Amino acid sequence: MIIIGEKINGSIPSIAKAIAERDADLIKARAEAQEAASEPFEKVFLDCCASVPEEEEVETLKWMIDCIQEVSDLPIAVDSPSARVLAEAYKFCNKPGLINSVSMEGAGEKIDILFPIIAANPGWDVAALCCDDTGIPKTAADRLRVFHDIMERAKEYGIAPNRMHIDPLIEMLCTSEDGIAMNKEVITTIREEYPDIHITAAISNISFNLPVRKILNQTFTVLCMEYGLDSAIVDPCNRDMVGTILAAEAMLGLDEYCMEYIGAYREGLFGPVK
Amino acid sequence: MSKIDEVAALVEKGKAKKVGAAVQAALDEGCDPQEILNVGMIGAMGVVGEKFKNNEIFVPEMLVAAKAMKMGVEVLKPHLASGATGALGKVIIATVAGDLHDIGKNLVAMMIESAGFEVVDLGVDVPNEKIVAAVEENPDTKIVALSALLTTTMPSLRDAVAAVNAQPWRSNVKVMVGGAPITQAFADEIGADGYSEDAASAAELAKSLVG
Repeated sequence: MIIIGEKINGSIPSIAKAIAERDADLIKARAEAQEAASEPFEKVFLDCCASVPEEEEVETLKWMIDCIQEVSDLPIAVDSPSARVLAEAYKFCNKPGLINSVSMEGAGEKIDILFPIIAANPGWDVAALCCDDTGIPKTAADRLRVFHDIMERAKEYGIAPNRMHIDPLIEMLCTSEDGIAMNKEVITTIREEYPDIHITAAISNISFNLPVRKILNQTFTVLCMEYGLDSAIVDPCNRDMVGTILAAEAMLGLDEYCMEYIGAYREGLFGPVK
Repeated sequence: MSKIDEVAALVEKGKAKKVGAAVQAALDEGCDPQEILNVGMIGAMGVVGEKFKNNEIFVPEMLVAAKAMKMGVEVLKPHLASGATGALGKVIIATVAGDLHDIGKNLVAMMIESAGFEVVDLGVDVPNEKIVAAVEENPDTKIVALSALLTTTMPSLRDAVAAVNAQPWRSNVKVMVGGAPITQAFADEIGADGYSEDAASAAELAKSLVG
């Protein structure tokens, strides 16, 4: 699995406070902790989202990225709702990472701004959300339509599918009338059409407004992995989630002799705290 | 760390892809091939077996270690005197008639092979006549190792041992038995020479039976 580590995000109150006070220690500690848990995964990006007003965002991201790069070698997922901010902030990274994210919103303007940058910087990947100016599509067919629009634009720019991380957009389970049937259809179809594309998801969205969210998050992850998810926006320091993902990989035949599972257990990355 | 210690460390960790190159490096440095085998591989597998017995490692870790040793032996074989890899003798192994379990039996075969025996694996659900015939076709057989995994196939194990015990050549071979429901008492009762409770102990037992 590819993990997009979600622990450095200005929408988390403690991170917002650290950003406001320019307290580098917390940012660095979060980066180090996620790197320490990264070993069993194919790749871990450290997501870096400022969640500040757009006019302060580039400068804030620069400070955050500098903090992270002081202590970690992991690639960074530069995260902003603004394409213009992303087009500036990715330059602060000293190695290629992930631009998070584009969508078909703004009549495809985000893509117009960011795909040329992705095309010109071969090491960089890009996350793409299956939404457009109609909002988050209600049906699987509409999400797949948006997906196909995105892929058509990627093709124009010569961006290979294996550099794309498609987020089918996860909404809360508690108001869904048919469970995760739509996610299943979207993920399965994307995986069939593009065997080497990356499919990611903000896992914890599924469990909003329900009790014992961790059980829902873990179960959802496993089911989506079976459908074709190969990337997840989660906390790599979440021991139960790490154990669950590694167990699922072993059961899906992605972990010969369960050695990754055993290895991560030995590293103390999941299981009882000793 | 000496080149042979490096081989041993890679075998213990089950680094199948790296062990061949390490064996080659040891050979290039002039290490004795027999010592690479005995210390770097058989010795390392002894350590692995010990850790398994002590519940320090899991079955797959033993599997990958044996697999790594196999890769190393491939590189080493041309440099060894013929027969050197199975120097402790030949072991015939089978799961008895009516019993289809092969994982435990395969683990035992692997650990016995890693301890320096040559293993002839007859598979699962093996009729008694086939076991007897295999020993007769391999007159240099030292040990017959028989497995039964079910309480319902314990009588079949009893019959298989009885069939071997009835042969004129019985004194030339040792019979060892194992499997989840088998105990030392049962092994004694049916006339086997040895019993072990796991794959690592089976390798130790085999060594002591021919020692």
